[in-house]
Amino acid sequence: MINTVILSYITFVYFGAFVAYLFMMVMGREFFGRIATVTTLLGLAGHSVAILLRWVESYRLGIGHAPLSNLYESLIFFAWTLILLYLLIEWRTRNRSIGVVATSLAFLAMAYASYSPNISERIQPLVPALKSNWLIAHVITCFFGYAAFAIAFGLSLMYLLKERSGNGGNMFIRLIPRTSILDELNYQLILIGFLMLTLGIITGSVWAHSAWGSYWSWDPKETWSLITWLVYAALLHSRLIRGWQGTRIAVLSIVGFCCVLFTYFGVNYLAGLHSYAKA
Amino acid sequence: MEPTPASQKPNALWRFFSSVRLTLVLLILLAGASVLGTFIPQREGMSDFAHRLSPGMFKVFETFQLFDVYHSLWFRILISALALNLIVCSLNRLSSTVRRLRALPRADRSKPFEDTPPRRRFTVSLSVAEAATRAQDLLRKRTVRHARKESTDGVFLYGERGRFSVFGVYIVHMSVLLILVGSIIGSVTGFEGFVNIPEGEGTETIRLRRSGAELNLGFRVECTEFFVAFYNDGTPKEYRSSLRFSAGDESIEGAVLVNHPYTFRGVRFYQASYGVIPGNEASLVLHRGTSPVKETAIRARRGEPIPLPGGEGTFQVEDIREDFMRMGMGPAARILVHPKEGEPVPFWVFLHPDRMEARFSEVFKRFPQLNPSSFEPYTFLLKDIERRYYTGLQVNRDPGVPFVWSGFILIIVGLFISFFMSHRRIWVRIEKDGDRAVVSLAGMANKNPVGLERELDRLTDGLREHLGAEGQAS
Repeated sequence: MINTVILSYITFVYFGAFVAYLFMMVMGREFFGRIATVTTLLGLAGHSVAILLRWVESYRLGIGHAPLSNLYESLIFFAWTLILLYLLIEWRTRNRSIGVVATSLAFLAMAYASYSPNISERIQPLVPALKSNWLIAHVITCFFGYAAFAIAFGLSLMYLLKERSGNGGNMFIRLIPRTSILDELNYQLILIGFLMLTLGIITGSVWAHSAWGSYWSWDPKETWSLITWLVYAALLHSRLIRGWQGTRIAVLSIVGFCCVLFTYFGVNYLAGLHSYAKA
Repeated sequence: MEPTPASQKPNALWRFFSSVRLTLVLLILLAGASVLGTFIPQREGMSDFAHRLSPGMFKVFETFQLFDVYHSLWFRILISALALNLIVCSLNRLSSTVRRLRALPRADRSKPFEDTPPRRRFTVSLSVAEAATRAQDLLRKRTVRHARKESTDGVFLYGERGRFSVFGVYIVHMSVLLILVGSIIGSVTGFEGFVNIPEGEGTETIRLRRSGAELNLGFRVECTEFFVAFYNDGTPKEYRSSLRFSAGDESIEGAVLVNHPYTFRGVRFYQASYGVIPGNEASLVLHRGTSPVKETAIRARRGEPIPLPGGEGTFQVEDIREDFMRMGMGPAARILVHPKEGEPVPFWVFLHPDRMEARFSEVFKRFPQLNPSSFEPYTFLLKDIERRYYTGLQVNRDPGVPFVWSGFILIIVGLFISFFMSHRRIWVRIEKDGDRAVVSLAGMANKNPVGLERELDRLTDGLREHLGAEGQAS
């Protein structure tokens, strides 16, 4: 299918963008930054087209549904939200240094989807439980949340790097924005992520109520999304009420993203209701 | 924490529950407990795991209710403590929040203007009074709760917006409570059960999931038809049960699909599973000696006596099984022959006798009760059995759901307000400078300083235009 071919090429476009962002950071030349941005934009355009093609293709197969129904499609969509969100931030903050993290994460997600032998890229028909309008709302909100947390994770790593080397350090470190900016952006992204995660849990819950008869059944994925929610809730309270900032928030943000990763991948090794997300 | 007046000194318990440190500890403990529950097999899944534990460990797990973490006493205590913590914290802060909001700040404050950047200060060729009136016009359009104060230095104007954004956090906390209340209402007054109904049959009772007890619904539900469809690749496409609900004179038909439950008298029916059960008919072919008596099969209803073709007596089908002894041996029927003289002869016949033979050699010769030729000279061959679908329905009643749903809506509203809206207070000062007036702007916000800066810049631009300012910022 043409969409999977395009998507496997897009993987390398993002890799190219990552290399360009890295060159910009190591050599400190704005020229590479511009190349990186253009490459990422082209990647996003191709990525969007491929997702649309996949959607159309599913209708041609007579099993039409939004391409958000299995692990392959969710990884592709995750990379898409990540890049979209990153480009918005780059545009708003006029700073390209987060690009290294965003494009590398998107590359990893795309490469895992396209080249892992365990992941089927076939368009599969929807089983009855997935035939619901809540599917789209649930997946979109969850993955925008995950993408926001992923970028916050990248910012936190950069914060720790910058923090440890003080004002000195090599070109790479010097091009990272000031710690105060990183801290504020980290916080802003966690706010967006938290709102989206809350929406994701709620839409999933309302959906579960109509599919399985219970809005909450302590299924492992459900439980892990709650754990993630609790960790970020703790982060927000420690910042807003107890005034935590900087390193501690960065560490909590990294812990939070580990929970996100476990909710997304780790839970598949535990039994549960979300089994269609496994392959 | 806000300092509390000495007159109403809180006791130790109140202080304990009003601490945000407690909130953090509880959030982390709840997260940890939830992690535990995803790694230890819970409830139905526990038996395999429990067998591998030593008796001592099993005792430990059982004492701490680790096989049902989410319904254990200690998990509930943690949640209750969080709820109490939330209520106490909210009450503690609410009064001071309201007090702060009621007070209208003085318009002639000069502190906010202390570090006004040059771009927020400009000169206009108007009298102070005229400039103040015009500025007030614009401020009234963009803000609420105005104040004006005139002093010897000039005129001060005040306006604000987003005052209610400080309540966002209370909305979030109340909605968490609302969700908890809804879940308690559901678990106390609702039920979760299931029932299997064969096509064409009905029932008034269901079985409860937790206790296993039967529950009378007070109305009858019948399955008139069950339908299952598959995609070409064999994955299921649709399950649908046509149901008829009847109570007294009332009778309503409704279809239940996955993701489309049907509610009757507050009880929701969900398509949960389906299966096949043998019906009431078996198709049999009789051989006399080695040749069939008739080519066509006899359709024998359960319990209905059928005369043997040679007049030796009658036979009837006593029992029909979908899977004999549940060993993968396939369908079987029990035949009972009543000869004209002598004792009745019972025996089983199989749709797939080869499977029996393969598993247990010479089985038919060794056991007369499994031998299809038990009644000489006849041999009974089972050709088919009638099959019927049954639909597996999840049957729930949960009066707490509306509370939970309201909590869901409110938590989103609350989060949005508390994350993305802020209480912005804006001051405008107009001072006399010869026959001209100097206008400066300042503001304060409880969060999002960048947003405040942008708003002040927009307002400055608006005022410059409205007042006809000259040139660029001085």
